[in-house]
Amino acid sequence: MKRIPCSGCSLLCDDVIIRSDGIYIDEVIGACIKGKERFDQTTAKNRIINPMIRKNGELQKVSWDEALDKTLKIIKNTSNPLLYGFSTVSCEAQLKGIELARMINGFIDSNSTICQGRLLNKAKETGITLTTITEIINKGDLIILWGANAAESIPRLLNKILFSRGKFRMTGREIKTLIIIDPVKTASFGVMGVRDIALIIEPNKDLDLIRILKEECCKADSIPSEGVAGIDKDDLKRLLLHLTGAENGVIFAGQGLLNSDLGSDVLKEFLELIQMINLKQEKGRISVILMGGHYNMTGFEHVALSAVGKNHSLQFSNGEFVDTEKTIISKIESEDFDSSIIVGTDPISHLAKRLSSKLAKKPLILIDNRNSSTLNIADVVLPTALTGIECEGLAYRLDHVPIELQKIINPPNKVPSDEELLEKIIHKLKT
Amino acid sequence: MEFILNTARMVDNDQAKEFIFGNEITLEQKLAIAFLNAKDFEKLKLKPNLNLKISNQNGEITVKALIDEDVPQRTVLMPVSIWSNQLVSIVNEEINYKNIKVNLESTSNSIIKFKELLNRIKGNK
Repeated sequence: MKRIPCSGCSLLCDDVIIRSDGIYIDEVIGACIKGKERFDQTTAKNRIINPMIRKNGELQKVSWDEALDKTLKIIKNTSNPLLYGFSTVSCEAQLKGIELARMINGFIDSNSTICQGRLLNKAKETGITLTTITEIINKGDLIILWGANAAESIPRLLNKILFSRGKFRMTGREIKTLIIIDPVKTASFGVMGVRDIALIIEPNKDLDLIRILKEECCKADSIPSEGVAGIDKDDLKRLLLHLTGAENGVIFAGQGLLNSDLGSDVLKEFLELIQMINLKQEKGRISVILMGGHYNMTGFEHVALSAVGKNHSLQFSNGEFVDTEKTIISKIESEDFDSSIIVGTDPISHLAKRLSSKLAKKPLILIDNRNSSTLNIADVVLPTALTGIECEGLAYRLDHVPIELQKIINPPNKVPSDEELLEKIIHKLKT
Repeated sequence: MEFILNTARMVDNDQAKEFIFGNEITLEQKLAIAFLNAKDFEKLKLKPNLNLKISNQNGEITVKALIDEDVPQRTVLMPVSIWSNQLVSIVNEEINYKNIKVNLESTSNSIIKFKELLNRIKGNK
Protein backbone atom coordinates (compact mmCIF):
# COMPACT_ATOMS: atom_id res chain seq x y z
CA MET A 1 0.00 0.00 0.00
CA LYS A 2 1.30 3.42 -0.91
CA ARG A 3 0.01 6.94 -0.40
CA ILE A 4 0.21 8.99 -3.59
CA PRO A 5 -1.12 12.25 -5.04
CA CYS A 6 -4.00 11.85 -7.48
CA SER A 7 -3.99 13.63 -10.85
CA GLY A 8 -7.75 13.24 -11.41
CA CYS A 9 -8.42 16.96 -11.05
CA SER A 10 -6.82 20.21 -9.90
CA LEU A 11 -7.21 19.36 -6.20
CA LEU A 12 -4.36 16.84 -6.50
CA CYS A 13 -5.49 14.96 -3.37
CA ASP A 14 -2.37 13.69 -1.64
CA ASP A 15 -4.17 11.16 0.53
CA VAL A 16 -5.14 8.52 -2.03
CA ILE A 17 -3.88 5.04 -1.22
CA ILE A 18 -3.10 2.47 -3.87
CA ARG A 19 -2.12 -1.15 -3.83
CA SER A 20 0.09 -2.10 -6.75
CA ASP A 21 2.66 -4.73 -7.65
CA GLY A 22 4.38 -2.24 -9.97
CA ILE A 23 2.74 -3.80 -13.02
CA TYR A 24 -0.96 -3.26 -12.34
CA ILE A 25 -2.90 -1.10 -9.93
CA ASP A 26 -4.94 -3.55 -7.88
CA GLU A 27 -6.79 -1.23 -5.57
CA VAL A 28 -7.45 2.49 -5.20
CA ILE A 29 -8.69 3.74 -1.82
CA GLY A 30 -9.96 7.21 -1.05
CA ALA A 31 -10.20 8.57 -4.58
CA CYS A 32 -13.35 10.30 -5.82
CA ILE A 33 -15.16 9.33 -9.00
CA LYS A 34 -12.80 11.47 -11.07
CA GLY A 35 -9.72 10.07 -9.39
CA LYS A 36 -10.96 6.52 -9.82
CA GLU A 37 -11.55 7.18 -13.51
CA ARG A 38 -8.04 8.58 -13.84
CA PHE A 39 -6.56 5.31 -12.51
CA ASP A 40 -8.96 3.27 -14.65
CA GLN A 41 -7.63 5.05 -17.74
CA THR A 42 -4.49 2.93 -17.58
CA THR A 43 -6.46 -0.05 -18.88
CA ALA A 44 -9.34 1.74 -20.65
CA LYS A 45 -10.38 0.19 -23.93
CA ASN A 46 -10.14 3.54 -25.75
CA ARG A 47 -6.65 4.28 -24.46
CA ILE A 48 -4.29 5.33 -27.24
CA ILE A 49 -1.08 3.35 -27.05
CA ASN A 50 0.11 3.40 -30.67
CA PRO A 51 1.20 6.33 -32.80
CA MET A 52 -1.12 6.97 -35.72
CA ILE A 53 -1.13 8.86 -39.01
CA ARG A 54 -4.14 9.78 -41.11
CA LYS A 55 -3.93 8.03 -44.48
CA ASN A 56 -6.75 8.33 -47.02
CA GLY A 57 -8.94 9.90 -44.38
CA GLU A 58 -8.44 7.13 -41.80
CA LEU A 59 -6.11 7.02 -38.81
CA GLN A 60 -3.72 4.10 -39.14
CA LYS A 61 -1.26 2.66 -36.65
CA VAL A 62 2.35 3.31 -37.66
CA SER A 63 5.80 2.99 -36.13
CA TRP A 64 7.18 5.73 -33.89
CA ASP A 65 9.76 6.61 -36.56
CA GLU A 66 7.09 7.11 -39.20
CA ALA A 67 4.88 9.14 -36.86
CA LEU A 68 7.78 11.37 -35.77
CA ASP A 69 8.92 11.84 -39.38
CA LYS A 70 5.41 12.98 -40.30
CA THR A 71 5.36 15.27 -37.25
CA LEU A 72 8.64 16.86 -38.28
CA LYS A 73 7.45 17.21 -41.84
CA ILE A 74 4.37 19.15 -40.69
CA ILE A 75 6.43 21.34 -38.37
CA LYS A 76 9.09 22.07 -41.00
CA ASN A 77 6.46 22.96 -43.59
CA THR A 78 4.85 25.56 -41.37
CA SER A 79 6.03 28.97 -40.32
CA ASN A 80 3.33 29.95 -37.86
CA PRO A 81 2.47 26.96 -35.67
CA LEU A 82 0.11 26.99 -32.73
CA LEU A 83 0.75 24.94 -29.58
CA TYR A 84 -2.24 24.55 -27.30
CA GLY A 85 -3.35 22.59 -24.22
CA PHE A 86 -0.65 21.72 -21.67
CA SER A 87 -2.98 21.72 -18.64
CA THR A 88 -2.95 17.94 -18.23
CA VAL A 89 0.80 17.48 -18.49
CA SER A 90 3.58 18.01 -15.97
CA CYS A 91 5.40 21.31 -15.50
CA GLU A 92 8.47 19.65 -17.03
CA ALA A 93 6.46 18.93 -20.20
CA GLN A 94 5.09 22.48 -20.17
CA LEU A 95 8.65 23.78 -20.11
CA LYS A 96 9.54 21.53 -23.05
CA GLY A 97 6.45 22.84 -24.88
CA ILE A 98 7.69 26.42 -24.43
CA GLU A 99 11.15 25.34 -25.61
CA LEU A 100 9.59 23.78 -28.72
CA ALA A 101 7.46 26.87 -29.36
CA ARG A 102 10.59 29.04 -29.16
CA MET A 103 12.47 26.75 -31.51
CA ILE A 104 9.77 26.69 -34.19
CA ASN A 105 8.68 30.33 -33.73
CA GLY A 106 5.25 29.29 -32.59
CA PHE A 107 2.52 30.61 -30.37
CA ILE A 108 1.82 28.62 -27.20
CA ASP A 109 -1.15 28.90 -24.87
CA SER A 110 -2.90 26.75 -22.28
CA ASN A 111 -6.54 26.01 -21.50
CA SER A 112 -6.24 28.49 -18.65
CA THR A 113 -6.68 31.37 -21.09
CA ILE A 114 -10.33 30.43 -21.59
CA CYS A 115 -10.78 29.46 -17.95
CA GLN A 116 -9.27 30.66 -14.67
CA GLY A 117 -6.46 32.56 -16.39
CA ARG A 118 -8.90 35.30 -17.27
CA LEU A 119 -9.32 36.21 -13.62
CA LEU A 120 -5.58 36.00 -12.97
CA ASN A 121 -4.92 38.33 -15.90
CA LYS A 122 -7.46 40.78 -14.59
CA ALA A 123 -5.78 40.60 -11.17
CA LYS A 124 -2.72 42.25 -12.72
CA GLU A 125 -4.77 45.47 -12.74
CA THR A 126 -6.43 45.13 -9.36
CA GLY A 127 -4.45 42.71 -7.23
CA ILE A 128 -5.88 39.51 -5.75
CA THR A 129 -5.89 37.90 -2.31
CA LEU A 130 -5.15 34.22 -2.71
CA THR A 131 -5.13 31.46 -0.11
CA THR A 132 -4.37 27.77 0.14
CA ILE A 133 -6.55 24.72 0.69
CA THR A 134 -4.62 23.96 3.90
CA GLU A 135 -5.38 27.44 5.20
CA ILE A 136 -9.09 26.91 4.52
CA ILE A 137 -9.08 23.45 6.11
CA ASN A 138 -7.42 24.79 9.24
CA LYS A 139 -8.88 28.26 9.60
CA GLY A 140 -11.74 28.77 7.17
CA ASP A 141 -15.12 29.85 8.53
CA LEU A 142 -16.83 31.09 5.35
CA ILE A 143 -16.86 29.25 2.05
CA ILE A 144 -18.57 30.80 -0.95
CA LEU A 145 -19.08 29.00 -4.23
CA TRP A 146 -19.80 31.63 -6.85
CA GLY A 147 -20.80 30.10 -10.18
CA ALA A 148 -18.93 26.99 -9.14
CA ASN A 149 -20.37 23.50 -8.75
CA ALA A 150 -17.63 22.01 -6.59
CA ALA A 151 -19.52 18.78 -5.88
CA GLU A 152 -19.23 17.77 -9.54
CA SER A 153 -16.18 19.61 -10.86
CA ILE A 154 -13.80 18.92 -7.94
CA PRO A 155 -15.67 16.22 -6.01
CA ARG A 156 -13.56 16.06 -2.83
CA LEU A 157 -13.16 19.79 -2.38
CA LEU A 158 -16.14 20.31 -0.07
CA ASN A 159 -15.24 17.12 1.76
CA LYS A 160 -11.87 18.59 2.62
CA ILE A 161 -12.67 22.22 3.29
CA LEU A 162 -16.19 22.13 4.68
CA PHE A 163 -16.38 18.97 6.74
CA SER A 164 -12.82 19.01 8.06
CA ARG A 165 -11.81 19.95 11.58
CA GLY A 166 -9.06 22.55 11.48
CA LYS A 167 -5.69 22.05 13.11
CA PHE A 168 -6.04 25.26 15.12
CA ARG A 169 -9.70 24.92 16.04
CA MET A 170 -11.66 22.46 18.10
CA THR A 171 -14.59 22.96 15.77
CA GLY A 172 -15.35 21.94 12.19
CA ARG A 173 -18.45 22.04 10.02
CA GLU A 174 -20.46 23.67 12.80
CA ILE A 175 -18.61 26.98 12.51
CA LYS A 176 -18.25 26.92 8.74
CA THR A 177 -20.87 28.72 6.69
CA LEU A 178 -21.40 27.73 3.08
CA ILE A 179 -22.90 30.25 0.67
CA ILE A 180 -23.67 29.25 -2.91
CA ILE A 181 -24.39 31.84 -5.58
CA ASP A 182 -25.67 30.16 -8.72
CA PRO A 183 -28.59 30.45 -11.13
CA VAL A 184 -29.08 26.66 -11.09
CA LYS A 185 -29.60 24.50 -8.01
CA THR A 186 -26.55 22.32 -8.57
CA ALA A 187 -25.42 19.18 -6.75
CA SER A 188 -23.35 21.36 -4.40
CA PHE A 189 -26.58 22.65 -2.84
CA GLY A 190 -27.05 19.12 -1.49
CA VAL A 191 -24.48 19.61 1.28
CA MET A 192 -26.07 22.77 2.66
CA GLY A 193 -27.12 22.90 6.29
CA VAL A 194 -29.64 25.12 8.06
CA ARG A 195 -27.23 27.99 8.66
CA ASP A 196 -25.90 28.02 5.09
CA ILE A 197 -27.24 30.40 2.47
CA ALA A 198 -28.43 29.42 -0.99
CA LEU A 199 -28.60 32.41 -3.32
CA ILE A 200 -30.30 31.58 -6.59
CA ILE A 201 -29.25 34.47 -8.76
CA GLU A 202 -30.98 35.38 -12.02
CA PRO A 203 -28.90 34.34 -15.04
CA ASN A 204 -26.32 36.92 -16.13
CA LYS A 205 -26.96 39.19 -13.14
CA ASP A 206 -23.66 38.68 -11.30
CA LEU A 207 -22.51 42.17 -12.14
CA ASP A 208 -25.68 43.67 -10.61
CA LEU A 209 -24.97 41.72 -7.44
CA ILE A 210 -21.31 42.78 -7.33
CA ARG A 211 -22.22 46.43 -7.86
CA ILE A 212 -24.85 46.51 -5.13
CA LEU A 213 -22.43 44.85 -2.69
CA LYS A 214 -19.80 47.46 -3.59
CA GLU A 215 -22.33 50.23 -3.07
CA GLU A 216 -23.42 48.77 0.25
CA CYS A 217 -19.76 48.59 1.31
CA CYS A 218 -19.46 52.34 0.76
CA LYS A 219 -22.89 53.41 1.96
CA ALA A 220 -25.23 51.34 4.13
CA ASP A 221 -28.84 50.84 3.01
CA SER A 222 -28.07 50.98 -0.70
CA ILE A 223 -29.93 47.73 -1.32
CA PRO A 224 -33.36 48.34 -2.83
CA SER A 225 -36.28 46.86 -0.90
CA GLU A 226 -37.11 44.43 -3.74
CA GLY A 227 -33.57 43.04 -3.66
CA VAL A 228 -31.20 42.61 -6.61
CA ALA A 229 -30.72 39.95 -9.28
CA GLY A 230 -33.52 37.82 -7.87
CA ILE A 231 -31.97 37.78 -4.38
CA ASP A 232 -33.98 39.41 -1.62
CA LYS A 233 -32.72 42.24 0.55
CA ASP A 234 -32.38 40.22 3.75
CA ASP A 235 -30.28 37.56 2.04
CA LEU A 236 -28.05 40.23 0.54
CA LYS A 237 -27.54 41.77 3.96
CA ARG A 238 -26.71 38.36 5.43
CA LEU A 239 -24.24 37.80 2.59
CA LEU A 240 -22.49 41.09 3.27
CA LEU A 241 -22.49 40.45 7.01
CA HIS A 242 -20.72 37.15 6.44
CA LEU A 243 -18.27 38.69 3.97
CA THR A 244 -17.25 41.48 6.33
CA GLY A 245 -17.43 39.42 9.50
CA ALA A 246 -15.64 36.20 8.54
CA GLU A 247 -12.27 35.50 10.07
CA ASN A 248 -11.04 33.52 7.11
CA GLY A 249 -13.41 33.53 4.16
CA VAL A 250 -12.81 32.22 0.68
CA ILE A 251 -14.67 32.65 -2.58
CA PHE A 252 -14.29 29.88 -5.13
CA ALA A 253 -14.79 31.59 -8.48
CA GLY A 254 -16.14 29.20 -11.09
CA GLN A 255 -16.98 29.33 -14.76
CA GLY A 256 -20.39 30.77 -13.89
CA LEU A 257 -18.74 33.96 -12.67
CA LEU A 258 -15.98 33.95 -15.27
CA ASN A 259 -18.56 33.73 -18.03
CA SER A 260 -21.17 36.14 -16.86
CA ASP A 261 -21.93 39.30 -18.78
CA LEU A 262 -18.91 39.26 -21.02
CA GLY A 263 -19.71 42.70 -22.39
CA SER A 264 -18.64 44.33 -19.13
CA ASP A 265 -15.72 44.08 -16.77
CA VAL A 266 -17.34 41.71 -14.30
CA LEU A 267 -14.06 40.14 -13.24
CA LYS A 268 -12.42 43.48 -12.51
CA GLU A 269 -15.43 44.60 -10.48
CA PHE A 270 -15.44 41.28 -8.64
CA LEU A 271 -11.79 41.72 -7.62
CA GLU A 272 -12.46 45.32 -6.62
CA LEU A 273 -15.33 44.10 -4.44
CA ILE A 274 -12.97 41.72 -2.62
CA GLN A 275 -10.58 44.59 -1.98
CA MET A 276 -13.38 46.80 -0.66
CA ILE A 277 -14.63 44.03 1.63
CA ASN A 278 -11.14 43.44 2.95
CA LEU A 279 -10.85 47.13 3.79
CA LYS A 280 -14.05 46.83 5.79
CA GLN A 281 -12.96 43.55 7.37
CA GLU A 282 -12.31 43.80 11.06
CA LYS A 283 -11.52 40.21 11.96
CA GLY A 284 -9.72 38.67 9.01
CA ARG A 285 -9.90 38.57 5.25
CA ILE A 286 -11.67 37.22 2.19
CA SER A 287 -9.54 35.35 -0.37
CA VAL A 288 -10.17 33.92 -3.80
CA ILE A 289 -9.45 30.50 -5.26
CA LEU A 290 -9.92 29.89 -8.97
CA MET A 291 -11.74 26.71 -9.88
CA GLY A 292 -9.79 25.41 -12.85
CA GLY A 293 -10.52 21.72 -13.33
CA HIS A 294 -7.51 20.28 -15.18
CA TYR A 295 -4.88 18.95 -12.84
CA ASN A 296 -2.05 21.22 -13.93
CA MET A 297 -3.78 24.24 -15.42
CA THR A 298 -2.21 26.42 -12.76
CA GLY A 299 1.21 24.96 -13.53
CA PHE A 300 1.36 26.53 -16.98
CA GLU A 301 0.91 29.98 -15.47
CA HIS A 302 3.93 29.43 -13.22
CA VAL A 303 6.11 27.76 -15.85
CA ALA A 304 5.38 30.39 -18.51
CA LEU A 305 5.93 33.21 -16.05
CA SER A 306 9.27 31.85 -14.91
CA ALA A 307 10.40 30.96 -18.45
CA VAL A 308 9.54 34.19 -20.28
CA GLY A 309 7.95 36.58 -17.78
CA LYS A 310 4.38 36.22 -19.05
CA ASN A 311 1.87 33.69 -17.76
CA HIS A 312 -0.04 32.90 -20.95
CA SER A 313 -0.30 33.43 -24.73
CA LEU A 314 3.39 33.34 -25.61
CA GLN A 315 4.46 34.27 -29.13
CA PHE A 316 7.97 33.52 -30.35
CA SER A 317 9.68 34.99 -33.41
CA ASN A 318 13.29 34.45 -34.50
CA GLY A 319 13.76 32.39 -31.35
CA GLU A 320 12.79 35.30 -29.11
CA PHE A 321 9.71 35.96 -27.03
CA VAL A 322 7.51 38.68 -28.53
CA ASP A 323 4.86 40.29 -26.38
CA THR A 324 1.46 40.09 -28.01
CA GLU A 325 -2.13 40.90 -27.13
CA LYS A 326 -3.28 37.84 -29.03
CA THR A 327 -4.71 34.82 -27.24
CA ILE A 328 -5.51 31.33 -28.44
CA ILE A 329 -8.99 32.57 -29.34
CA SER A 330 -7.92 35.54 -31.44
CA LYS A 331 -5.17 33.48 -33.10
CA ILE A 332 -7.63 30.84 -34.25
CA GLU A 333 -10.40 33.33 -34.97
CA SER A 334 -8.16 35.33 -37.31
CA GLU A 335 -6.65 32.11 -38.71
CA ASP A 336 -3.23 33.43 -37.75
CA PHE A 337 -1.63 29.96 -37.76
CA ASP A 338 -0.77 27.34 -40.32
CA SER A 339 -0.64 24.18 -38.18
CA SER A 340 -1.29 23.15 -34.62
CA ILE A 341 0.25 20.91 -31.98
CA ILE A 342 -2.40 20.02 -29.42
CA VAL A 343 -1.17 18.56 -26.14
CA GLY A 344 -3.44 16.73 -23.69
CA THR A 345 -6.68 18.46 -24.55
CA ASP A 346 -9.68 18.27 -26.87
CA PRO A 347 -10.25 21.69 -28.48
CA ILE A 348 -12.50 20.31 -31.21
CA SER A 349 -14.98 19.46 -28.44
CA HIS A 350 -14.47 22.33 -26.05
CA LEU A 351 -13.99 25.34 -28.30
CA ALA A 352 -16.87 27.15 -29.97
CA LYS A 353 -17.73 25.64 -33.36
CA ARG A 354 -16.51 28.77 -35.16
CA LEU A 355 -13.04 28.13 -33.72
CA SER A 356 -12.96 24.35 -33.93
CA SER A 357 -13.86 24.51 -37.64
CA LYS A 358 -10.91 26.81 -38.28
CA LEU A 359 -8.58 24.63 -36.22
CA ALA A 360 -9.71 21.55 -38.14
CA LYS A 361 -8.80 23.09 -41.50
CA LYS A 362 -5.04 23.13 -40.85
CA PRO A 363 -2.64 20.23 -40.21
CA LEU A 364 -3.03 19.07 -36.61
CA ILE A 365 -0.64 17.00 -34.47
CA LEU A 366 -2.23 15.55 -31.33
CA ILE A 367 -0.19 14.49 -28.31
CA ASP A 368 -2.58 12.69 -25.97
CA ASN A 369 -3.42 9.33 -24.48
CA ARG A 370 -7.15 9.18 -25.00
CA ASN A 371 -9.85 9.18 -27.62
CA SER A 372 -11.44 12.56 -28.32
CA SER A 373 -13.13 14.64 -31.01
CA THR A 374 -9.72 16.14 -31.79
CA LEU A 375 -8.32 12.65 -32.37
CA ASN A 376 -11.00 12.19 -35.02
CA ILE A 377 -9.63 15.06 -37.11
CA ALA A 378 -5.91 14.86 -36.21
CA ASP A 379 -3.32 14.16 -38.92
CA VAL A 380 -0.82 12.65 -36.49
CA VAL A 381 -1.54 11.14 -33.07
CA LEU A 382 1.33 10.60 -30.62
CA PRO A 383 0.35 8.75 -27.43
CA THR A 384 1.95 9.48 -24.09
CA ALA A 385 2.02 8.09 -20.56
CA LEU A 386 -0.40 9.15 -17.82
CA THR A 387 1.44 11.59 -15.57
CA GLY A 388 1.08 10.76 -11.90
CA ILE A 389 0.58 7.05 -12.64
CA GLU A 390 2.94 6.01 -15.43
CA CYS A 391 5.48 8.80 -15.08
CA GLU A 392 6.40 11.38 -12.48
CA GLY A 393 6.33 15.14 -12.72
CA LEU A 394 5.49 18.36 -10.96
CA ALA A 395 1.99 19.85 -10.95
CA TYR A 396 0.48 22.91 -9.30
CA ARG A 397 -2.68 22.46 -7.26
CA LEU A 398 -5.57 24.90 -7.85
CA ASP A 399 -4.30 27.01 -4.93
CA HIS A 400 -0.86 27.34 -6.57
CA VAL A 401 0.86 24.81 -4.29
CA PRO A 402 3.34 22.55 -6.15
CA ILE A 403 2.79 18.81 -5.72
CA GLU A 404 5.20 16.12 -6.89
CA LEU A 405 3.34 13.44 -8.86
CA GLN A 406 4.70 9.92 -8.72
CA LYS A 407 5.23 7.00 -11.05
CA ILE A 408 3.49 3.80 -9.95
CA ILE A 409 3.53 1.51 -12.96
CA ASN A 410 5.17 1.40 -16.39
CA PRO A 411 3.20 2.77 -19.32
CA PRO A 412 1.79 0.28 -21.85
CA ASN A 413 3.68 -0.26 -25.09
CA LYS A 414 6.58 1.79 -23.67
CA VAL A 415 4.83 5.03 -24.61
CA PRO A 416 6.96 8.00 -23.55
CA SER A 417 5.96 10.72 -21.11
CA ASP A 418 4.85 14.07 -22.57
CA GLU A 419 8.20 15.50 -21.51
CA GLU A 420 10.18 12.71 -23.18
CA LEU A 421 8.14 12.96 -26.38
CA LEU A 422 8.51 16.73 -26.64
CA GLU A 423 12.25 16.38 -25.95
CA LYS A 424 12.47 13.79 -28.74
CA ILE A 425 10.78 16.18 -31.20
CA ILE A 426 13.11 19.03 -30.13
CA HIS A 427 16.14 16.76 -30.49
CA LYS A 428 15.07 15.61 -33.96
CA LEU A 429 14.50 19.21 -35.05
CA LYS A 430 18.02 20.11 -33.94
CA THR A 431 19.67 17.29 -35.88
CA MET B 1 -39.40 30.08 -27.60
CA GLU B 2 -36.44 32.07 -26.24
CA PHE B 3 -34.35 30.52 -23.48
CA ILE B 4 -31.01 31.01 -21.75
CA LEU B 5 -28.57 28.16 -22.30
CA ASN B 6 -26.11 27.33 -19.53
CA THR B 7 -23.47 24.67 -20.05
CA ALA B 8 -21.89 22.92 -17.07
CA ARG B 9 -19.52 20.11 -16.22
CA MET B 10 -21.41 17.16 -14.78
CA VAL B 11 -19.95 14.05 -13.20
CA ASP B 12 -22.51 11.71 -14.76
CA ASN B 13 -22.44 13.42 -18.12
CA ASP B 14 -18.75 13.86 -18.67
CA GLN B 15 -17.38 14.10 -22.17
CA ALA B 16 -13.85 12.95 -21.35
CA LYS B 17 -15.21 9.90 -19.49
CA GLU B 18 -17.37 8.85 -22.44
CA PHE B 19 -14.48 9.22 -24.85
CA ILE B 20 -12.25 7.09 -22.62
CA PHE B 21 -14.65 4.40 -21.47
CA GLY B 22 -17.70 4.62 -23.70
CA ASN B 23 -18.59 4.53 -27.36
CA GLU B 24 -20.50 6.68 -29.82
CA ILE B 25 -23.83 5.46 -28.44
CA THR B 26 -23.04 6.29 -24.81
CA LEU B 27 -21.50 9.56 -25.96
CA GLU B 28 -24.83 10.56 -27.48
CA GLN B 29 -26.88 9.17 -24.59
CA LYS B 30 -24.88 11.07 -22.00
CA LEU B 31 -24.12 14.31 -23.83
CA ALA B 32 -26.73 14.97 -26.52
CA ILE B 33 -29.17 15.95 -23.80
CA ALA B 34 -30.67 19.10 -22.33
CA PHE B 35 -32.32 19.61 -18.93
CA LEU B 36 -35.45 21.69 -18.61
CA ASN B 37 -37.94 22.60 -15.94
CA ALA B 38 -41.17 20.53 -16.07
CA LYS B 39 -43.23 23.65 -16.80
CA ASP B 40 -41.07 24.55 -19.78
CA PHE B 41 -41.21 20.92 -20.91
CA GLU B 42 -44.97 21.22 -21.00
CA LYS B 43 -44.96 24.65 -22.67
CA LEU B 44 -42.75 23.31 -25.44
CA LYS B 45 -45.23 20.42 -25.90
CA LEU B 46 -42.41 17.94 -25.49
CA LYS B 47 -43.30 14.27 -25.34
CA PRO B 48 -41.15 11.17 -24.89
CA ASN B 49 -41.11 10.54 -28.64
CA LEU B 50 -40.09 14.12 -29.47
CA ASN B 51 -36.70 15.77 -29.28
CA LEU B 52 -35.56 19.30 -28.63
CA LYS B 53 -34.20 21.59 -31.33
CA ILE B 54 -31.90 24.27 -29.90
CA SER B 55 -30.67 26.98 -32.21
CA ASN B 56 -29.10 30.43 -32.28
CA GLN B 57 -26.91 32.44 -34.65
CA ASN B 58 -23.99 30.09 -33.91
CA GLY B 59 -25.60 26.83 -34.86
CA GLU B 60 -28.36 24.32 -34.43
CA ILE B 61 -28.56 20.96 -32.70
CA THR B 62 -31.23 18.40 -31.89
CA VAL B 63 -30.91 16.67 -28.53
CA LYS B 64 -33.00 14.70 -26.07
CA ALA B 65 -34.89 16.80 -23.52
CA LEU B 66 -34.97 15.69 -19.89
CA ILE B 67 -36.86 17.13 -16.93
CA ASP B 68 -34.91 18.59 -14.02
CA GLU B 69 -36.85 20.56 -11.44
CA ASP B 70 -33.67 22.27 -10.25
CA VAL B 71 -33.30 24.11 -13.55
CA PRO B 72 -35.06 27.47 -13.41
CA GLN B 73 -37.78 28.28 -15.88
CA ARG B 74 -36.68 29.70 -19.23
CA THR B 75 -33.25 28.15 -18.72
CA VAL B 76 -31.89 25.11 -20.49
CA LEU B 77 -28.92 23.28 -19.01
CA MET B 78 -26.55 21.12 -21.05
CA PRO B 79 -23.40 19.19 -20.14
CA VAL B 80 -20.28 20.70 -21.69
CA SER B 81 -19.68 18.78 -24.90
CA ILE B 82 -19.24 19.00 -28.64
CA TRP B 83 -23.06 19.26 -28.83
CA SER B 84 -23.44 22.26 -26.54
CA ASN B 85 -20.38 23.93 -28.04
CA GLN B 86 -22.13 24.22 -31.41
CA LEU B 87 -24.13 27.00 -29.75
CA VAL B 88 -21.59 28.81 -27.58
CA SER B 89 -20.62 32.27 -28.69
CA ILE B 90 -17.47 34.36 -28.82
CA VAL B 91 -17.77 37.84 -27.34
CA ASN B 92 -14.83 40.24 -27.03
CA GLU B 93 -12.41 37.45 -27.93
CA GLU B 94 -13.68 35.28 -25.10
CA ILE B 95 -15.77 32.14 -25.31
CA ASN B 96 -19.12 32.45 -23.61
CA TYR B 97 -20.19 29.08 -22.17
CA LYS B 98 -23.00 30.53 -20.04
CA ASN B 99 -26.09 32.67 -20.45
CA ILE B 100 -26.35 32.09 -24.19
CA LYS B 101 -29.58 33.14 -25.88
CA VAL B 102 -31.13 30.24 -27.77
CA ASN B 103 -34.43 29.29 -29.35
CA LEU B 104 -36.10 26.05 -28.36
CA GLU B 105 -38.75 24.02 -30.12
CA SER B 106 -39.90 20.43 -30.02
CA THR B 107 -39.15 18.35 -33.10
CA SER B 108 -39.66 14.87 -34.41
CA ASN B 109 -36.15 14.96 -35.93
CA SER B 110 -33.56 12.53 -34.60
CA ILE B 111 -30.78 13.52 -32.25
CA ILE B 112 -27.80 14.82 -34.16
CA LYS B 113 -25.06 12.18 -34.30
CA PHE B 114 -21.46 12.65 -33.19
CA LYS B 115 -20.17 11.83 -36.70
CA GLU B 116 -22.46 14.44 -38.20
CA LEU B 117 -21.13 17.08 -35.83
CA LEU B 118 -17.57 16.12 -36.73
CA ASN B 119 -18.38 16.40 -40.44
CA ARG B 120 -19.80 19.86 -39.85
CA ILE B 121 -16.57 20.87 -38.14
CA LYS B 122 -14.25 19.13 -40.58
CA GLY B 123 -15.87 20.69 -43.64
CA ASN B 124 -13.74 19.87 -46.65
CA LYS B 125 -10.64 18.69 -44.81
